[in-house]
Amino acid sequence: MALKGLDIFKLTPKTNCKECGSPTCMAFAMKVAQGAVEISKCPHMSEEALATLSEATAPPMKTIKVGTGEAEYTLGGETVLYRHEKTFVSKTRYAAAISCCDENMDAKLAELKKVDYERIGERMHVEMLYLTYCGNCDAAGYAAFVKKVMEEVPDKTIVLDCTNVEAAKAALDVCKDKKPILDGADASNYEEMSKLATEAGVVLGVRGADINELYDTTAAVEKLGNKNLVLNVGAASIKDAFATTVQIRRAALKDTNRTFGYPSIVNAAALAPGDSRMQAALASLFTVKYGSIVVMEGMSYAQALPLYGLRQNVFTDPQKPMKVEPGIYPLNGGDENSVCLTTVDFALTYFVVSGELERSGVPCNLIISDAGGLSVLTAWAAGKLSSTSVSKFIQENVEDKIKCRKLIIPGKVAVLKGDIEAKLPGWEVIVAPNEAVQLVKFLKDMQANGEI
Amino acid sequence: MPFTGKSGKFNAAIRTVEIGTGDKAVKLGGENVMPLYSFDAPIENAPKIGVLITDLGMENEVAGIKDYYAGASSFAEIAKKAEEMPGADFVVLRFEGADPNGEDRSIEDCVAIAKEVGDAITAPLVIEGCKNVEKDAELFTKVAEALQGKNVLIMSAREENYKAVAAAAGLAYGQKVGAESAVDINLAKQLNVLIGQLGVDPANVVMNVGSAAAGYGFEYVVSTMDRVKAAALSQGDVQLQMPIITPVADEAWNVKEAMASEADMPEWGSQEERGIDMEIETAAAVLASGSNAVILKHPASVATISKLINELV
Amino acid sequence: MSKFIVIGERLSTTAPAINRAFSGRDPEPILKRAKEQLDAGATYLDVNIGPAENDGPELMKWAVELLQSNFDNVPLALDTSNKAAIEAGISVYNRSKGKPIVNSADAAGRIEYIDLAAANDAIVIALCNGEGIAKDNDERMMYMQTMMERGMEHGMNVEEDMWFDPLFLVIKGMQDKQMQVLEFIKMISDMGMQSTGGLSNNSNGMPKHIRPIMDSAMVAMAMMNGLTSAIVNPCDLRLMETIKSCDIIKNNNLYADSYLEI
Repeated sequence: MALKGLDIFKLTPKTNCKECGSPTCMAFAMKVAQGAVEISKCPHMSEEALATLSEATAPPMKTIKVGTGEAEYTLGGETVLYRHEKTFVSKTRYAAAISCCDENMDAKLAELKKVDYERIGERMHVEMLYLTYCGNCDAAGYAAFVKKVMEEVPDKTIVLDCTNVEAAKAALDVCKDKKPILDGADASNYEEMSKLATEAGVVLGVRGADINELYDTTAAVEKLGNKNLVLNVGAASIKDAFATTVQIRRAALKDTNRTFGYPSIVNAAALAPGDSRMQAALASLFTVKYGSIVVMEGMSYAQALPLYGLRQNVFTDPQKPMKVEPGIYPLNGGDENSVCLTTVDFALTYFVVSGELERSGVPCNLIISDAGGLSVLTAWAAGKLSSTSVSKFIQENVEDKIKCRKLIIPGKVAVLKGDIEAKLPGWEVIVAPNEAVQLVKFLKDMQANGEI
Repeated sequence: MPFTGKSGKFNAAIRTVEIGTGDKAVKLGGENVMPLYSFDAPIENAPKIGVLITDLGMENEVAGIKDYYAGASSFAEIAKKAEEMPGADFVVLRFEGADPNGEDRSIEDCVAIAKEVGDAITAPLVIEGCKNVEKDAELFTKVAEALQGKNVLIMSAREENYKAVAAAAGLAYGQKVGAESAVDINLAKQLNVLIGQLGVDPANVVMNVGSAAAGYGFEYVVSTMDRVKAAALSQGDVQLQMPIITPVADEAWNVKEAMASEADMPEWGSQEERGIDMEIETAAAVLASGSNAVILKHPASVATISKLINELV
Repeated sequence: MSKFIVIGERLSTTAPAINRAFSGRDPEPILKRAKEQLDAGATYLDVNIGPAENDGPELMKWAVELLQSNFDNVPLALDTSNKAAIEAGISVYNRSKGKPIVNSADAAGRIEYIDLAAANDAIVIALCNGEGIAKDNDERMMYMQTMMERGMEHGMNVEEDMWFDPLFLVIKGMQDKQMQVLEFIKMISDMGMQSTGGLSNNSNGMPKHIRPIMDSAMVAMAMMNGLTSAIVNPCDLRLMETIKSCDIIKNNNLYADSYLEI
């Protein structure tokens, strides 16, 4: 983060000695802030001041990498609190909690594998497993459990929820190559835990009874030289977990408090045990507000469908619209004889239009051509949705697959009708209403009138 | 050394708007912190939950909703059940059937239903229209007149019909006005200015800045609300300090994830559960982004969101 | 970013009618002129009672109470060389709508006005000037530093409560110095500090119909460079429209079609 001239000025000796070549310390501070002069030009800066400055110019929040291969994820590294300011860079990742003594472990693991699907080019599944040490098993038992889970579901990143040093050591021995997180440092064990994590080369999770203890323990771990951390916001209450999660992020990004400049772990499973609906609500809340990893007891389709969609929305780059793949999308059992409709590849447009088409119940084919991910009018204005682009796509990709020769175009580009008809001999071009919501009635009427 | 975080309390605050009358009247807004940040300063009025019923009755609802309203046949009985739903703060009556492209229910019938519902409940009442701007203008005017003295919130005055709706609800009949825009922050502000220029006291205006189901362009909802709250609180923009109400149920239950049958999508599991989670997760996300009130319909969603709010504020 | 702050300059002893009203304690003309400025969009009102050597404290108290009781505790800039009058004004000042502004300190004879502002938790306008007009920006910056250190010594939040005045210079006479002033505003802004000044000084001596045009151009260029406030005539419609438009372009205020009316 750029330092303001004032912050630098406060650290100068304020003697206006001119040895740096500037007439005043203030002028010097300003030149440093603009990057025109090196801070070292001032021979009178104290060591302390220089340390403060180098700290202040470091990124406000660390980027932490966990997992390996396909299951490698980047956490943190955010620079803004609100997505309209700049893009959020690291998506919230979801973890399923399993305890080493979980009787339903096998069923749970089988269940987990089921929710695995694609949405707008992104794989949606539970990326991490939160493996809890029950406190009663011996260290070898916990390690064996971790090993079994890894074999069963190898494509997940492991988070060890374990404050027992022995058990943690045993578990790390079997899984450290997969770059897990050791979520287990607290005020009583952080020295040993930090040593374990550092030696194994893995990220350490820090926790505390409250935000103050979390802060102190994190500062203590940093003092040991370990800055490869994530912060567990605790499970005392939903209110505390939310307050801690927000305050950590805000302190890091707004007040440049480096001690809190780490990603967070929110354990929704522990905040609302047995309440899958509350866990869904919490996962949503912490996806919008600053959870880096959200732990749930499991992930059903009902929970996943809105959650992954929400995440895809919140973490989208405002500069780069989400696009769907060009192609023919049959809806309501549409086949080669069903009417064709076309619109742009902007994901939101696609979702809104396909949703209305599905609601109509009329079998049809939604044809999406490449329009640069822009909305209908913008694409038209930019020349990305034209009679040429539409007719070319239909000739190359549709005519050999679809027999129906009726094409419905968006009402907002009614002007293209004549040109498309001229370029697509044999096709009848029909103009749709202006708004997607009117499509239901429009299609139903066409169907009732025997037009399709 | 304990953590010393800077407070995120602002000098400006969201206006407090009261709807309804008597013991059950509810207050929306009033906070001087970002949404749900009760650790920065106390949030006096926690976000509220409205329960949606429509003039089309229960026919098209899922089993859990039908079951809840079992035995209630008249609008009065349905409304009574809605206000008794655990977690409910107010009742929302939507005239879906008034749509000229749908059932085209007459204004007279709508007014009769509104009166029946208004008389049956003591909780505050919010009126939603059919989204047809001409019909809504007339409908809202007549309903606002018929429900005088009940301090209902009339949703919504839009760019196309705000003159009629805001003048009737906010000036002639002393109701609260809902200013509706669709994820367009400049229009949201402009509409508030225009309604103010008609002479409606800003303290009688609530905003609906638009909504979407989670996954359906929800980033626009987040950014619109983030920017509204930032302008209202940190820039002290008085034209955006109205509390926000967000209809969640309409959006959440109308997307594929909530509508696809189990026959069509067997791996997705129970359709009703999908609808509930879509409603819950969308509601949690709009509350996190800045809604002062959400409109829901399933008893399970109302229970969960109510619990969430109680935990947070 | 915050909206540009307009300090209305029209309650001044330099205007004969206002001077008479102040000395005769006649509320009527003062309230009328205050209302005009507030209606036109002023945030702060400058209350310039002149040197007021005899009755300063009593006059300033009277003016503060008169204005604040009639206009919902409107925030005020207390403008006089009589320190006791400023202190008296602050003693009856209601800060619910904003801190009082002490107008003004400089880096020479009036540096103690900074102490006064610090002691009273007030904002101070700090004129980047010593004895006579600074010859270049190095010298302005020297004055700025002197005043800033003074403020810090006295525990002021200098980022928010010291508003530096670059001293706008008259074009007819100092045309070649205008860009220097604008560059200095940029420096204040780059330091992360607030700025203000008697902006219309630039057009002094120009024909009446020219002044709003020149002032508007100056305010636009100064805002581009980071000027955060100005002491101006808010009843100058062209100037106010320019300020409101610049606030939109700078994203200090959210656009709505009616932005000029609010």
